[in-house]
Amino acid sequence: MAQNDTLINGWQPVIGLEIHVQLQTNTKLFSPAKNQFGEEANTLVDLIDMGLPGVLPVLNDGAVKQGIAFGLATNAEIAKTMVFDRKNYFYPDLPKGYQITQLHYPIVKNGVVDVEGKQVRIHQAHLEEDAGKSMHDIYDSESVVDLNRSGVPLLEIVSEPDIRSAQEAVKYLKKIHQIITYLDISDGDMSQGSMRCDANVSIMQPDDKEFGIRAEIKNINSFRFVEKAINFEIKRQIKVLESGDKVEQETRLYDSIKDETRSMRTKEFANDYRYFPCPDLVPYEISKDLVKKVNDNLSELPEEKQKRLMETHNLNEYDAGVLCADKSTADFFEEVVKEADAELTAKWIIGDLNALLNKNDISLKESKVEAANFSKLIQNISDNTISGKIAKDVLDEVWQSGEDVAKIIEGQGMQQISDEGELEKIIDKILAENTSQVEAYKSGKEKLFGFFVGQVMKATQGKANPGLVNQLLKKKLN
Amino acid sequence: MNFQEIRNNFRDKKVSAKELTEESLKKAKDKSDLNAFISHFEEYALERASYIDTNFDQYIDKPLGGIPIAHKDIFCTDGRKTTCASKMLENFVPPYESTVTKNCNNAGSIMIGKTNMDEFAMGSSNETSFFGPVKNPWDDSLVPGGSSGGSAACVAADITTISTGTDTGGSIRQPAALCGITGLKPTYGLVSRWGMIAFCSSMDQAGPIARDAFACSALLNAMASYDDKDSTCSKRESVDYEKGLSKDFGKLKIGVLKGVENLGISEEVLKAYESSKKILEQLGHSFVELDFTELSSGICSYYVIAPAECSSNLSRFDGIKYGYRSEAKNLSELYLKTRAEGFGDEVQKRILIGSYVLSAGFYDAYYRKAQKVRRMIKSKFDEFFMDVDLVFLPTTLDQAFEMNRESSDPNRMYKEDLLTIPANLAGLPAMSLPNGFSKNLPIGVQFVGNYFSEELLLNTAHKMQEVTDWHKMTP
Amino acid sequence: MNKIELKNLLFLSRLRVNEEDQDKTIEKLQNTFEMIDQMNDLDLDKFEPLNNPLELTNVSRSDKEKNRNKKEEFLEKSPKSDEDYFVVPKIVE
Repeated sequence: MAQNDTLINGWQPVIGLEIHVQLQTNTKLFSPAKNQFGEEANTLVDLIDMGLPGVLPVLNDGAVKQGIAFGLATNAEIAKTMVFDRKNYFYPDLPKGYQITQLHYPIVKNGVVDVEGKQVRIHQAHLEEDAGKSMHDIYDSESVVDLNRSGVPLLEIVSEPDIRSAQEAVKYLKKIHQIITYLDISDGDMSQGSMRCDANVSIMQPDDKEFGIRAEIKNINSFRFVEKAINFEIKRQIKVLESGDKVEQETRLYDSIKDETRSMRTKEFANDYRYFPCPDLVPYEISKDLVKKVNDNLSELPEEKQKRLMETHNLNEYDAGVLCADKSTADFFEEVVKEADAELTAKWIIGDLNALLNKNDISLKESKVEAANFSKLIQNISDNTISGKIAKDVLDEVWQSGEDVAKIIEGQGMQQISDEGELEKIIDKILAENTSQVEAYKSGKEKLFGFFVGQVMKATQGKANPGLVNQLLKKKLN
Repeated sequence: MNFQEIRNNFRDKKVSAKELTEESLKKAKDKSDLNAFISHFEEYALERASYIDTNFDQYIDKPLGGIPIAHKDIFCTDGRKTTCASKMLENFVPPYESTVTKNCNNAGSIMIGKTNMDEFAMGSSNETSFFGPVKNPWDDSLVPGGSSGGSAACVAADITTISTGTDTGGSIRQPAALCGITGLKPTYGLVSRWGMIAFCSSMDQAGPIARDAFACSALLNAMASYDDKDSTCSKRESVDYEKGLSKDFGKLKIGVLKGVENLGISEEVLKAYESSKKILEQLGHSFVELDFTELSSGICSYYVIAPAECSSNLSRFDGIKYGYRSEAKNLSELYLKTRAEGFGDEVQKRILIGSYVLSAGFYDAYYRKAQKVRRMIKSKFDEFFMDVDLVFLPTTLDQAFEMNRESSDPNRMYKEDLLTIPANLAGLPAMSLPNGFSKNLPIGVQFVGNYFSEELLLNTAHKMQEVTDWHKMTP
Repeated sequence: MNKIELKNLLFLSRLRVNEEDQDKTIEKLQNTFEMIDQMNDLDLDKFEPLNNPLELTNVSRSDKEKNRNKKEEFLEKSPKSDEDYFVVPKIVE
């Protein structure tokens, strides 16, 4: 092993992620019911999603195309033939008592993604159906089941154990998030469960030839928790091994409140999923034509978009890269610059807007800042209607209320004062009131220039055009 | 009166749908001790018959116009109880209609009730029904066969002239043979499985049960349709099977069994088989002897694959969303009690076998191997059909047997399907028709055809029935 | 098959057999497996497994919605429900 800054107390973490991504199809994987988050409970449930007797699944070809798109975006092998299997287990939110998934013949195999220069291999990505949702806090002694999610198409993306630290795992997860949102096959919203992550974690000595025994951590539902959960688990395993015990191969649950992973209740008998090919479905051969069709319609990927932004808007590589890290940001940028200056827009998105997003830990979509409104803000800066300083206040106001930029500026009289005559009057008044400072300045205390600027700004509540103030002051004082 | 006569009378307005329905309903009541029905729909049937009579012109040309029918209680009927003969679904009312029953309705038939069967179609004697066994109309101490025993008894007792059945390992053909009537298991995929409660999805196939090949052809015309709700349903041009009866397929090469004496077939059944061969000869057909030895291992394959699929198909019956739920203190008890109380012994046994053969470490030794046997049997048939047009063999090893049969062989019941199972494994169409009597009990014989050769099967059976009377015998 | 195997099988299948009947169940299952095990005498090397007799491929539907909301009916017919949900004994994670 070459450079290694990923060791923790001399132990090498080895991590693989299983990422479940809800596909953004119109309908479910095997039923024509609507695929939609946040609707009234149990209203998006077809006979098929209920697992009623005698009803049969039919494959949604929209989900197939989205799976292929993911394969193309990760330079993976697209299956010549994919086959659906049944995974049998009992759970109240699994209406048929089995999940239809792909075990041996997944739609995508052997992909690879570039995570800041490091190649992380994707073992496979397969199509499967989501289960319903159980909720436990409505009644004391009972749970309830909502089947709206039952049958929603999932793409489960299984990485090879190529990841070596919790930070790297987050970067990989963000990369996958970037790909699926760019492809527009999922909204990737972890808070709504459209993207969910399980992590396989083990540790080994750097010179060990084989990986250690791994634990699977389930239920990690934010980028932040991925890092925390993995780090907790690494430390736990180090403690176990250093005390001479063995790590157990088991499934553990991450508890974000206590920030710990804990073993899921071990059952009397191990579960055995008894996979077998689903006899209600037939194998699906993916033709070269279909792959080509999907490829021809493939959305722009991050690297392509970055390149295009650099070329068309004359952005530098760094700025374009930051903008393209998240598709919604890049789309936002493109919307804003339809009317506004590109360089200034980039500066404001990367600077002030991103700062607000990070501080409040929300996404652009969730915020009240709309592209058209943001565009007005930039335009007002460009044409000197408001100063950069005032613009920050306006942005704060937009962030809070989503109010129209023009209205904020007008309503609060925030327009910049660029009228030479008006400013001259104000300056003359200030110079007259501060004769001693004027004299001191003229006798060589040039540092006092800033004092005069400050006084003008104070008098105009910061609305004076700073360039003009400088120019006029210099003229009057010298 | 047979199906054709009844239909002609209806078309000629000599009898109304209502009169036909009243007669069927009365017979069903008179013969209620057969226990052939799980549900009767008297009011519905009479209303529907009146509707058909009022709208006579719309129904005159329909293949089943005005004809009372009984459906196996495995087909979901919208708003009407569908039990699959299980306590699990004792009060289950589906909010959807199976394609089979829908097609039959569209063809103008009148459903008078739902017939008894083995629980979830698992059985060969109709003794596993939660609603009690069905009796054989020829002798009420004997079984009618299974699993479509109620549908077969209903036709044999002349309650209706036609009924629907399903055949996973012989469930149409075996009861047809034991009740002295005619039944066809179509090619897998000819008839939609939508709304038909699944036992073994890769073998289940619905088909017609009737007194004769003519009625079977009319009923199959109604039942068969391409259905985009069933991914395993075959997309083919539709065939008019009734019209096909008058076609001339010429002289056929028919495959017959070499070494039949080694299969454990009774003397009476063999005798009837031999005399039927003579009739085929008289009709101008010739024979090719086929070695059936490999096909007899189909039963091993079947009793792995069918339980495997059923163990999974029946997982949905968990007491959560519909059907029976037992009182329970907690979730794990709810599952165990609901399923242990809701399923009968035979169903539970098959679920256990199925779970076993699919479990880690046994999959290759059982499930995968069984699928290889399945391929072997399909290949064997493919080989046969290079040489012959049809394969001809007895339907059952023996005639109808007594209820609670004692046997020194614990697998005797499973071997009941020895001769019918190969067609299911290969997905081929097969048809049983009565071909003799012994001790006043009917005997059946079957043709197995190549894929989608239902027209030839029905035609050949029909031609045989034109020169024989076995199908006209009634108890 | 021994009792431990049977118990595992019962757990997987969510079924229950009384302790005193378990030997009988094992015997019944074993009898069936004796018949099934005759497969072992066959030479099957040249045969690929067969899943579905017709070996059809590529059956799918287009991604178009058909709304068949039957919430009330589904809930009403379920063994236990409230206005919005199916209700089950507490699921212990």
